[in-house]
Amino acid sequence: MPFALSYTAAADRLDFSLAQSLTVIALCALTALISNMALAVFNDGARPFLLDFIRGNTRRGEMTAVSFGLSAGFVFGLGAPMALSTGVLNPWLLFLPTDILGLLAPRRWLAPILGGAWGAVVVFGLSGANNAAHDLPVDFLTAMQEMATPILFLFLLFPVIAIASQFGRVLGAVAFVVEIAIVVISMKAWPDHFPGALAMAAGVLMLLGFALARDLRNRRAAAAPAPPKPADAPGAARIPLEEKADDKPAADPMASLFGANAERLRRHLPWFALLGAVLAAMVNLHIFGGGEATSFLVPKGDYGEAAQVDFYRAFGFLPLIATTALASGAFQIVGFTFVYPLAYLAPNVAVAAVGGAVLFSVEILALSYIGRGLTMLPSIRDASDHLRNAIGKTLEIAILFGAIAAAAKMGGGLGITLVGGLYLLNEAIGRPIVRLAAGPAAVVVAGIALNVLHWLDLFTPLKG
Amino acid sequence: MTKILVGGVGKVDVAERLKEIGGLEVVVTNDMDAATRLMAGQADYYIGTCHTGAGGSLGVLVGLLGAARCFTFGRGQATAAEAAAAVAEGKVAFGFSIDQIDQVVPILAGAIHERRRDG
Repeated sequence: MPFALSYTAAADRLDFSLAQSLTVIALCALTALISNMALAVFNDGARPFLLDFIRGNTRRGEMTAVSFGLSAGFVFGLGAPMALSTGVLNPWLLFLPTDILGLLAPRRWLAPILGGAWGAVVVFGLSGANNAAHDLPVDFLTAMQEMATPILFLFLLFPVIAIASQFGRVLGAVAFVVEIAIVVISMKAWPDHFPGALAMAAGVLMLLGFALARDLRNRRAAAAPAPPKPADAPGAARIPLEEKADDKPAADPMASLFGANAERLRRHLPWFALLGAVLAAMVNLHIFGGGEATSFLVPKGDYGEAAQVDFYRAFGFLPLIATTALASGAFQIVGFTFVYPLAYLAPNVAVAAVGGAVLFSVEILALSYIGRGLTMLPSIRDASDHLRNAIGKTLEIAILFGAIAAAAKMGGGLGITLVGGLYLLNEAIGRPIVRLAAGPAAVVVAGIALNVLHWLDLFTPLKG
Repeated sequence: MTKILVGGVGKVDVAERLKEIGGLEVVVTNDMDAATRLMAGQADYYIGTCHTGAGGSLGVLVGLLGAARCFTFGRGQATAAEAAAAVAEGKVAFGFSIDQIDQVVPILAGAIHERRRDG
């Protein structure tokens, strides 16, 4: 049956082989060690604060508090519910805690022990919880697979939303029509494949094309006589030349900061090569989804689709990761996330590991050039902000829709009341759980509640 | 008029909210440009948003202005007292999570107005 009409994920259980468990534990030990050395953290928000930590202006305790404050919500609000509902591991569940544990460890040798222990908790604890949940009379984890269709088929539109918010309604409408046309044609021409892949590629290319065109146009405009008040023109006066006349330092402070930080990362290149290798090996075992959408594709075995989705997603994060890395002297634990597509597609663990090591080395060495390029092309940086915003918005709708579908499947009207009600309650009390995870978390809570009601003889499970 | 630079993932939404509140000059830009302008004294404040409330929000600002001039509300909500204290301490760059825009922006704008009136 065509892909678009029959998309249901396999009812997967979290069962990790010994080799898989050991790889996850080894990776968690390594990422905690690297976080302890302040070489890389996964949380993009914590990274800017590492600069003062590396310079010795922030104490370990304060840094740990910052990291914990920025990460905890994503571990319990995004990573854990996603892992429970998809049956595969994700970076929020593994690497946010190892960020915190690595920064917390007062002695270097303690960091890998704490990290490895977290890895063990995840592999053994999660598989236990997951398998227990599947055996309940109301199987809410199987119902959760209703999420896959809305996520896949709305996510493919994220470049359109980004184009509309950055370049206005005309180009937004054009991009929408182009993407839908490509989806329709793909469904006809290759019925067995995910029809969004090509559409997403076209969308991202359109966005990058529009952004480049705008930058080149602005550059030409800037070459003409400058307006009298450059500070008021958005995007103008990138480095105010008139300021150099007075006592301000002649050297660009941004360039010198970026240069020193890039040099620090290059000095530790072997560590990053090792990290890239172990990370790619783990991802290649197909027990891990790198993004929100891929967490639903990997358990189904659609590695080709997963690779494409995460490849396009990476463009939303590349400028953010490059900028925060250059501004802080610490890299992203998963690099520019290109390691995900590489490792999904690698034919075996050895190839993945070698590829991961090479990829991370290249990323570290290219960092300075990427930073310089981004300074010259502000619209590309803007485009990535809009891309990430669009990814968030499309997934928000898709995941909420999927959660309601899952609720209907496991509990009919009562299910919708419980899941929709919990979602709205979370909104009303200031959103302690991030919107992206509120739906899946509500399904888990409602599923447990329905099982209790069933046990009290107050609810009869629907037969699917 | 107080000049506020806006950047990060939800910059369009933040700018709209600020314009609704009024009384501030709002410029949509990005963290790199904002750092340059704040250091040159061409603007008064920067407001950034992202998913964590710090990474894409503050970005290079922490490195260039120093952590002492930057403040993050994280993913949480803001209280008027918290915002007023941060502004009074001389923080100029603020970051928070995009899903709290409707809640944080009015409070932060209020604190900045207050500060302005007190001189």
